[in-house]
Amino acid sequence: MIATSRGAADRRLRIAVPKGALLEGSVRLLEGAGLDTGALANPGRQLIITTDEVEYVIAKPTDVPIYVAYGGADCGVAGKDVLVEAALEVVELVDLHFGGCRFVVAGLEDAGDMDERYGHLGVLRVATKYPNIAQAHFDARGIQVELVKLNGNIELAPLIGIADVVVDITATGTTLKQNRLKIIEDVLPSTARFVGNPVAVRTDPRVTALADALSELSVES
Amino acid sequence: MRPVTPRGFRDVLPAEAAEREVLTLRLSDAFAAWGYERIETPVVERLDALEAAAGPLEGTAFRLVDLDGHLLALRPDLTVPIARLVSSRLADVAGPVRFRYAGEAFREHESLRGQARQFTQVGVELVGACGPEADAEVIAVLADALRTVGFERFTVAVGSVEVFNAVVAAAGMPESWGADVLAAAHERNFVELQRLADLPGVAETAARALREVPRIRGGREAIARCSDVASACGCDATLGALDETFALLEAAGVHESVMVDFSVMRSFDYYTGIVIEAYAPGLGLPIGGGGRYDGVLEAFGAPRPAAGFALGLERLSIGLLEQGVDVPVRRLDAVLGGPAAEALSAAARLREAGWRVAISSRAGRELVAEADERGAIEALFARDGRVVRLDRSGEPALPLEDPAPYPPSTSWAEGSER
Repeated sequence: MIATSRGAADRRLRIAVPKGALLEGSVRLLEGAGLDTGALANPGRQLIITTDEVEYVIAKPTDVPIYVAYGGADCGVAGKDVLVEAALEVVELVDLHFGGCRFVVAGLEDAGDMDERYGHLGVLRVATKYPNIAQAHFDARGIQVELVKLNGNIELAPLIGIADVVVDITATGTTLKQNRLKIIEDVLPSTARFVGNPVAVRTDPRVTALADALSELSVES
Repeated sequence: MRPVTPRGFRDVLPAEAAEREVLTLRLSDAFAAWGYERIETPVVERLDALEAAAGPLEGTAFRLVDLDGHLLALRPDLTVPIARLVSSRLADVAGPVRFRYAGEAFREHESLRGQARQFTQVGVELVGACGPEADAEVIAVLADALRTVGFERFTVAVGSVEVFNAVVAAAGMPESWGADVLAAAHERNFVELQRLADLPGVAETAARALREVPRIRGGREAIARCSDVASACGCDATLGALDETFALLEAAGVHESVMVDFSVMRSFDYYTGIVIEAYAPGLGLPIGGGGRYDGVLEAFGAPRPAAGFALGLERLSIGLLEQGVDVPVRRLDAVLGGPAAEALSAAARLREAGWRVAISSRAGRELVAEADERGAIEALFARDGRVVRLDRSGEPALPLEDPAPYPPSTSWAEGSER
């Protein structure tokens, strides 16, 4: 699939910005890089915000890699977690050093050791929103798992008995703790990244220039 | 049941098929003008033969098992099959050999990615030649072909895998580190490259090159910039050859659409020298690519240098559409009605004069409507040994000249030869 863009060659630079937790940090950095962020901080129901230089596409965080990989957006901001899970061809240009969180394996506080349970049952039931990351993690550890993909409130899965452990992201661990879950092991750390479409990075100097500006900012912060 | 095609496969209907035919012909002509000969290979190959050259193809190739229990694969590209052919049946030909091809290739894709699993590759392979002359020829043929099919603006990015390999070798780090670097380069993960460069123990010259080389892109002067940061890593010979290649491209008059880019990496790891990608403005994916793959024929026991590229016909069409370039497709000249025997003999005379004529059993206004619908230039009617043109209301108007004139779809009145 290729995004088609009607007269794309001379259009404004198109930046995919994730709504939700990464929005505020993204706006701050883009502003710091000298861009007019306009109504970006409070977009209301608008999905595309146009300024003199750029077009911001307000995206669901997990959709940013898709927009960028297929060229619907030239560049964007996405969490490392989302990038790993999507496994699409985007150029990871800058670690923006915000939106830090980590992927963890977590299980019920009172359920004993994960390895012990695995020894008895031979297979571990894992609930997650991130099946690719979870599978890769347990493959690397040589543990056989049955994955259940859920779409939200992953912490519920061990409580209602449909999984032994969960693989999920956590920033502070509060939600896990409130649901009587404890962290068993780390999977991978994640921060926000500035990513570019592979062709745009090579043919559009504006993407590289923005990457350089963001790179300096994120080092300072 | 209501039949469907498998996911990622599709039918091509007349309007699109006609354009694809024209594009393929024009590309073939452009390649033939450089002395490349047409070649065909089977759609199915032995999986072990493909993997010997291209590495593991799990998740990439469509695999099948035949009655003998052999693992087969639908070809994921045409480069490896042609290398197989040259290294077996043409092993004794001195060469260099120049081949062109147009054919379907197949690749597996996960569902819900919106990706086609069958696509058409049109390209060339230059086997048995190496050095800047051969590299420049392949790049120049690519640029020529893109101009021929109507692209006014396009970019051919040229890099070299040898530069990265030299940097890795000069770092003085264990092999696993080198593998990580190459993997990160393949994934285009600049953040990871930065992290690997910052690790303790990486030789300073290599670390600097690793940080800067993937960012270098531009005209011929970019080669000098790369030399500034990377020559301490021992890749001067590579960069010297690349500079010579660019000098030749200048002589060939195609340098303006070509740029150096050391971050170019292709999805198969059989490339050993230059790597090429072609971009059309506004498209987020390359329209073609290729490079030098000297190791492939070696894997088949007949070591010979080789380079080539393939263009994706589907992406080419999208790119042209985006630039507003019409692919000139020759239309039907006439729909011809009349008593069956008269129509047949009149149509035969017109075809002899080069016309494209479809016979119809309709007459009058209905015949004109059919001509419109089929995009024909004329609505004709044959009777009493004569052929007359019909006007818009389906009434006989001017008789057609005898002998038959040039077909209207090729005459100057249509603007140009179509």
